[in-house]
Amino acid sequence: MLKLEEILNKYFGYSEFRPGQKEVIEKVLDGQDVIALLPTGMGKSLCYQLPGYIFNKPVLIISPLLSLMQDQVDQMKQFKEKRVVALNSFLNPAQKRAVLHYLHEFRFIFISPEMLLQEQVQQKLNAMELSLIVVDEAHCISQWGFDFRPDYLRIGQVIGKENRPPILALTATATQKVLGDIESYMEMRNPYKFIHSVDRPNIHLGKLMFQGREDKIDWILDHVTKSAGPGIIYTQSRSKTESLSQRLLQAEIPCAAYHGGMDPLDRQFIQQQFIDGSLEWIVATNAFGMGVHKQNVRQVIHESLPSNVANYMQEIGRAGRDGEDSLAVLLYAEGDEELAKFVGIDDYPVDAHVDSYLSYRARQELPISMVHNGEISETAFRVLDYWMHQLHPAEVKQRLTSMKIEKMRAVEEVMDLIDTNACMREKLVHYFGQELESKPTDCCQCCGIEYQSIVQPRVKKDLAAYELNWKKRLEKLLLGIS
Amino acid sequence: MIFQQILIQIFHKFNQERSISAPYHLLRGKRSGQTVQDVGIYHLHNYFGILPKLSRTKYDKEVSALIEDNFIIVKEDGFYALTNKAAEQLNEMQNLPFDGWHYRGNEHVFFARLSLVIQSLSHQSAGKMSFIPLQKDEQVQHWTRKFLITNQYQDGQMQQRLLEEISYSLDQTSQDELGKELLILRLSGFETAGLTWQQISYQVNINEKDLQLIYIASLHNWLNEIVVHREQYPLLIQMADNVRIQNPLSGSAFQSAELFNSGHSIEQISKIRKLKKSTIEDHIVELAMNEPQFKVEQFVSDEDIEKVLAAVEDYNTRKLKVLHEVVPHLTYFQLRLVLARGEHVEA
Repeated sequence: MLKLEEILNKYFGYSEFRPGQKEVIEKVLDGQDVIALLPTGMGKSLCYQLPGYIFNKPVLIISPLLSLMQDQVDQMKQFKEKRVVALNSFLNPAQKRAVLHYLHEFRFIFISPEMLLQEQVQQKLNAMELSLIVVDEAHCISQWGFDFRPDYLRIGQVIGKENRPPILALTATATQKVLGDIESYMEMRNPYKFIHSVDRPNIHLGKLMFQGREDKIDWILDHVTKSAGPGIIYTQSRSKTESLSQRLLQAEIPCAAYHGGMDPLDRQFIQQQFIDGSLEWIVATNAFGMGVHKQNVRQVIHESLPSNVANYMQEIGRAGRDGEDSLAVLLYAEGDEELAKFVGIDDYPVDAHVDSYLSYRARQELPISMVHNGEISETAFRVLDYWMHQLHPAEVKQRLTSMKIEKMRAVEEVMDLIDTNACMREKLVHYFGQELESKPTDCCQCCGIEYQSIVQPRVKKDLAAYELNWKKRLEKLLLGIS
Repeated sequence: MIFQQILIQIFHKFNQERSISAPYHLLRGKRSGQTVQDVGIYHLHNYFGILPKLSRTKYDKEVSALIEDNFIIVKEDGFYALTNKAAEQLNEMQNLPFDGWHYRGNEHVFFARLSLVIQSLSHQSAGKMSFIPLQKDEQVQHWTRKFLITNQYQDGQMQQRLLEEISYSLDQTSQDELGKELLILRLSGFETAGLTWQQISYQVNINEKDLQLIYIASLHNWLNEIVVHREQYPLLIQMADNVRIQNPLSGSAFQSAELFNSGHSIEQISKIRKLKKSTIEDHIVELAMNEPQFKVEQFVSDEDIEKVLAAVEDYNTRKLKVLHEVVPHLTYFQLRLVLARGEHVEA
């Protein structure tokens, strides 16, 4: 058999593993269950892709986010892997039948939890042999996590068979509590744990406090005209991304707004422009980042407070994937925490939803009609529906209240970063139950930081003049002549 | 602005004889008997189904804006009236070349195919055949793969041929330059990213919603050129395959039409299909609207046709109730046939 390094080189073109990859892969090949915490950009997916080329049976990857799944499939196809398929609700019935029929012939099968729970899918999976079950974004299983997906809880029941292949649970962000939940709900058998340090020493942590909200905008405008990108500005709402990007455009900063409600083609164009360098800044909601593989992001600015520390970590983690020094600045104006709390619990079921759910049942109507009647969002309904099947209504209300308190507390934890006079890096690492080994120079706002020594001054470029002449543009597209 | 103008024009054509919701169903292309018949009665083929995804909230917001800006007045019975200000607007309005009746949102399938073909050919020219496809729809991806192979893209000749087809066909359309620019700016290729609506809007100083409407009209206009002169555009016509609605009849109406055309009477069709007579009559009206060869005279005498058309003129209405009072000896079915007559879609 080829050595792992040779396989790595043959299929992926790398000469060496990143920290953790080899250990995880070796355990998986040994047939052991594994929980791996690897920060964003540390090559999580290689941990199941490489074994896929050693095993002769399919690898099943359970992935909660449709967009992420699509992105992973695209990536693999780009690297000439043809035997990869995504089994999700985007398929029409005919496509789904065809995929199920040939399912055993794929090397990598991506599947959404909803799909996994379907009877016909389970039948097919039971009738075939798998080499490995991967649970991606495994933190979604924890109901205390911020990303709780009720369907994830049932994965354990579906895949927990006597003779099942090993399970590899992957996450970029999990506290000790969440790691424990992953192990027990997934019914893992004495798993090997690889916990990478969540610290990213090349990302320097700034924070700035302001009196009013408008002051933050003024600072951003001043900062981005003087210092170099590429960078991402995270803000809370879709409308905020639009208005802030307009302000930046007026200041002749090449930038674009990005949020989940945009035309899908627009989102692709923005990613393409950001990667090819024609856009210096993206003003985005938290919808931006996943699937954007840009190595040289130099700055991440948070115009508003993220709803929890894990999100913050993930978002600043999009800077400096190339290992070079990068700057993350967290901005705060008085009252921001109230706004963040509101956003955090906005899309969450409340007591009135419980009552409404019961009256639907009493009228012998399907509670899902609540969604169709516009009473509740789909995500909130999923959470509500799950708990209504598990607990008595009064207990559900208690549960919802405690979760709401939990979400508010999560914002308070972000506030700790603002309030603290001690090292921000240390606080972040402690949040994940880890110890900080060493501090880099220009560590954080509290330890002392010099923004100018981390980021370069901006070299002013003119806003890209677009080729509007359609014939010339067409020639450039098709023939490569400009 | 353009969206508001379109709304005013639709309200105007409905001649205050339909509810405030009627334009919404029309724009979304609702396939109910009422909406489809209204298309014929009120000459609204161009706007049918141009915004299949229009949300009710968005529609209501636009209508409220029209009320607020004093273009329309809503009456107590849920109907409305246009103001003089609206009438002035109608005179100044530039008409975009929509052809919703024949495309109904399918124009986006054509563009998705074109976009992926261009992206592929662009990368081929650059000698880099691996890229992330802009179009995520598996069917579009599958179609494009097949298209490239059948047309022997490996020769490296396809780029030039497609360039010529696109340039020539767009030159033939009546669309102004902006419409053509929009189409091409929404394409991406190797080291040339497409522009977002926000970016185009910033550049040409027209709001995003209006740009999108101009874009849809330009697609319709372009597709019509391609379909009419199909032999001149061997590549583009393939991309337009199954995009234009060949048979605009709804499924059920189509079945009734088949029976009717093979000599069955309305009563017989009603028995065979186990459907109410009035339903079959709806289908016949739909058929009359869509088939230029349909002879209304088999149901209504020439003389009566004249009478109805005269009443439409005299009373300035297409309201069946009013017309029925003027020519009481005709049934509603006959009246609808006459209204549908003459307004059939030109194929």
